[in-house]
Amino acid sequence: MMTGFARRLAGHLTRGLVMIWVVTTFTFVLIRLMPGDPVQVQIERNIAMGMPPDQAEAAAAVTYGFVPHGPMWKQYLEYMGGILRFDLGVSVESQGVPVADRVLGAMPWTVVLVLTGILVSFLIGVVLGVIAAIKRSTVVGHSLSIAGSLLHGVPPFVIGIILAALFTRQWRLFPSGGVYNADEVAPGLYFDFIGNVLYHAALPAAAYALATYGGWLLAMRSSVASVLGDDFLLAAELRGLTSLTRFRYLARNAILPLFTVLAISFGLVFGGSIFIERIFNYPGLGMLLFSSIGSRDYSMMSGAFLMITVAVIVANILADLLYSAIDPRVRRQA
Amino acid sequence: MKRSVIAVATALSLVLTASACGDSKPQKGGGTYTTIDGNHAIDAQAPINPYAGKGNAFNGYNAIPLGFRKNHMTDHNQHYPAIAESWQVNADQSEITIKIQPNAKWSDGTDVTADDIQVSAAVAFTQGGGVFQVTPGTTGALGELTIVDKKTVKFTQAAGARNNTFLFSVLSLWVLPKSVWGPQLPADFWDKVKLGGSADPAKADAAKAARDEISALGKKLIAFGPAKDVTAGPFVLESVNASEAILVKNTHYFNASKIGPEKVRLRNYTGNEQIWNYLTAGELDSAPFTATPTNVVEQILKVNGSKQLKGLSHVSGALAFNQKFEPFNKVEVRRALAYLIDRAQATKVGSPDSGKAAETTHGMIQEAAKSWIGEAELAKLNQYNLDKAKAETLLTQAGMTKKDGKWMLANGQPFSFKIQAPNGFSDWIATGSNIAKQLTEAGIAVEVQTSADFAVYQKEMAEGKYAVGFWLIALGPSTYNAYARLYGAANGWTAFGGKLTHAAPGEKGNWIGSPETATIEGAGTVNPGELTYQLSQLPVDQAKDTILKLAKYTNDQVPMIQIWNYVNVQFINESRYTNWPEANCECLRLSHGVWMQLGYIQPK
Repeated sequence: MMTGFARRLAGHLTRGLVMIWVVTTFTFVLIRLMPGDPVQVQIERNIAMGMPPDQAEAAAAVTYGFVPHGPMWKQYLEYMGGILRFDLGVSVESQGVPVADRVLGAMPWTVVLVLTGILVSFLIGVVLGVIAAIKRSTVVGHSLSIAGSLLHGVPPFVIGIILAALFTRQWRLFPSGGVYNADEVAPGLYFDFIGNVLYHAALPAAAYALATYGGWLLAMRSSVASVLGDDFLLAAELRGLTSLTRFRYLARNAILPLFTVLAISFGLVFGGSIFIERIFNYPGLGMLLFSSIGSRDYSMMSGAFLMITVAVIVANILADLLYSAIDPRVRRQA
Repeated sequence: MKRSVIAVATALSLVLTASACGDSKPQKGGGTYTTIDGNHAIDAQAPINPYAGKGNAFNGYNAIPLGFRKNHMTDHNQHYPAIAESWQVNADQSEITIKIQPNAKWSDGTDVTADDIQVSAAVAFTQGGGVFQVTPGTTGALGELTIVDKKTVKFTQAAGARNNTFLFSVLSLWVLPKSVWGPQLPADFWDKVKLGGSADPAKADAAKAARDEISALGKKLIAFGPAKDVTAGPFVLESVNASEAILVKNTHYFNASKIGPEKVRLRNYTGNEQIWNYLTAGELDSAPFTATPTNVVEQILKVNGSKQLKGLSHVSGALAFNQKFEPFNKVEVRRALAYLIDRAQATKVGSPDSGKAAETTHGMIQEAAKSWIGEAELAKLNQYNLDKAKAETLLTQAGMTKKDGKWMLANGQPFSFKIQAPNGFSDWIATGSNIAKQLTEAGIAVEVQTSADFAVYQKEMAEGKYAVGFWLIALGPSTYNAYARLYGAANGWTAFGGKLTHAAPGEKGNWIGSPETATIEGAGTVNPGELTYQLSQLPVDQAKDTILKLAKYTNDQVPMIQIWNYVNVQFINESRYTNWPEANCECLRLSHGVWMQLGYIQPK
């Protein structure tokens, strides 16, 4: 007999698999309906780079063999069969290179960038949100709220452009692009390499964090403000509990709603951040997806969208399970 | 909690500071030369393969052909020696004997020999293109490859229809090591090539099977690459990650003493903006050509040591007409528009730094036209200088009338149209907007419309959906290539097996839709497709008369209006390296790895 948890998990997984299938099918059809021919795109790009037309055609001709052909239903069955064998196909733009290899190659950089950005923005937003709520009738509280609102309304790419202009061109404190300087360090788990990676990720992650911390701040402020009025806090004060203890009671209850959003945000990590990656030439999944759309790399697009879909759905499931783990009221209800 | 937050922040700052300081190590010997490979973005997962779309074999660095084509004004067969030390061509250009560099070695220390060239040609056949095509009847294909001795190879063109790009195509062959690529080919590969190219009807099925096998092998080989780079070029690939490739000097390279830098760092890019960012941050020693807006040029030139190198570019930007759409089927209308457009103004807006207004329309860049047909003949062509009165006369001859300052078609409808441009091509969009403004002021309602991206633009243009759009022409130095952009497949003419055919407008990719012939003063009745095809057969020194006729035809019939000729603008930084190529060097369009092979780029 299944326990409650097992039943919930089975339900989530079933719904998740159905959603993955629906989204995969939808994106498969949509991608193949896109106008444009990857071979012609490559020919004209080669010509624009100075290649003579016949050389350009020759260089692009072999690409034709990697473009999926045949009736769409047949392509769909082949694609779904491949997914079941964990085979996402081969890239058209980078002929013959497995899609999975390209996705897995870009993924670590997206994870570094966006995960760092999310965590930093979450921490800053939560801490500042608590301060803004506690001091909500003071100048400090108002200033924090206004700053958070303003930055929240600014698109991430605008912040990225400003940071890039200031810190890579005006003051040259950070590199303008790349993931690490391969001339200085080789990959490995040691101080120099990790430092180099963090150095290159600092500015794009800062852009991401600055663009998103405002949302966490406002949400946390609102949540704290609502919990501050609860009776259990007054009771804690009357019982003579220390301010630190009362703060822990407050924070734990106020942060609950944000955890769900945070968990879902982690799922969106795999979508990358196209604008920030483009501005900082940071080769994550966002740039990979952007490049594959421009060159009509159908297999690559399908593979990237599948990865993002699975990540978001898994994150949703984990968020749901996490919430019931940290909130005893939800556990009791279940 | 407060203390631990401060501790983490401090640690992070220390890490970042240490790394930042660690990034600026002093240059050792020749140092590390940082640039961009303009041919493609970097893909860390791609194989070390010059045929792969994003292969980690970089032209001029660790990918080297027999010869590098010079950016010569008129002769597409002029090359710098690479792995080929010299070559001899027989009288009818059907046979090329190539002598390999006597000291050419692979990076593993073994000699480059004729066997390597044979394997390289075999791989080229699997990829197709140029003279390495197996399809029977292909014009100018390679018929036979003969190993004369260890350092000499003879290439013989197949009997039948010839092509004067044979030498150019052979010298473009990527030279690959037999030790790596030989085992990938079946033992009977050349038999398959011979069978696949057979036109004997009795062997038709076997020939098709052989071609299918070669094609399947081609798909396999394009994804192949060795685990470790083996190259005869000046640099060897040391490592590649998602954002850059590092190449180290190949000590076995036959001209290693000429190579200045010890290492090359090729940084990734996926768009012009990223190259501009690198340049304005002072992070590149040089960058290949990009069409750069004036304000960005100013920022780049503010960087200490930055300089522009300007040279010849065999590319023109033109406004192209689809003559299936009225009234663009009328030559008077096309000429009238040429008289109405101030090309200098349009170029100043669209390509102020990387373009020069086209003097007139003749299908070539101006310098090439001067070299081919001379100043006197050029002066006889219609210059299409700004002339509103002439334009009005022509529009009236085309049956239009002017009402309240607006031109009306013969059917009473206003004369209006859209200029199509692809999203992301800022120079085309800016030029189009300026042209639209000029024509609107002249009484023709024009606006720019953008396609979602280049792929959509490409597809819809080929399908004949646009009345007016942008098209790159004058792609020299081969005049056949230049005029094929106007009178090739896009205009209905295709050549195969020595036979030229013409498809009607709207069929088989014919979106330009010109008539097959026209009578031109001083040239008689001209079939531009036939003349263009002739250019592919004629030796370079016998092409002048044909080129003159094509120039006159293009100038008279105006299938497109040449708006601007591109200028090859590249940025260099003289802080760390010196001895750069001079402006208008015939090497300017080649990769900077080739510049190094020619002895340029030496450390300060």
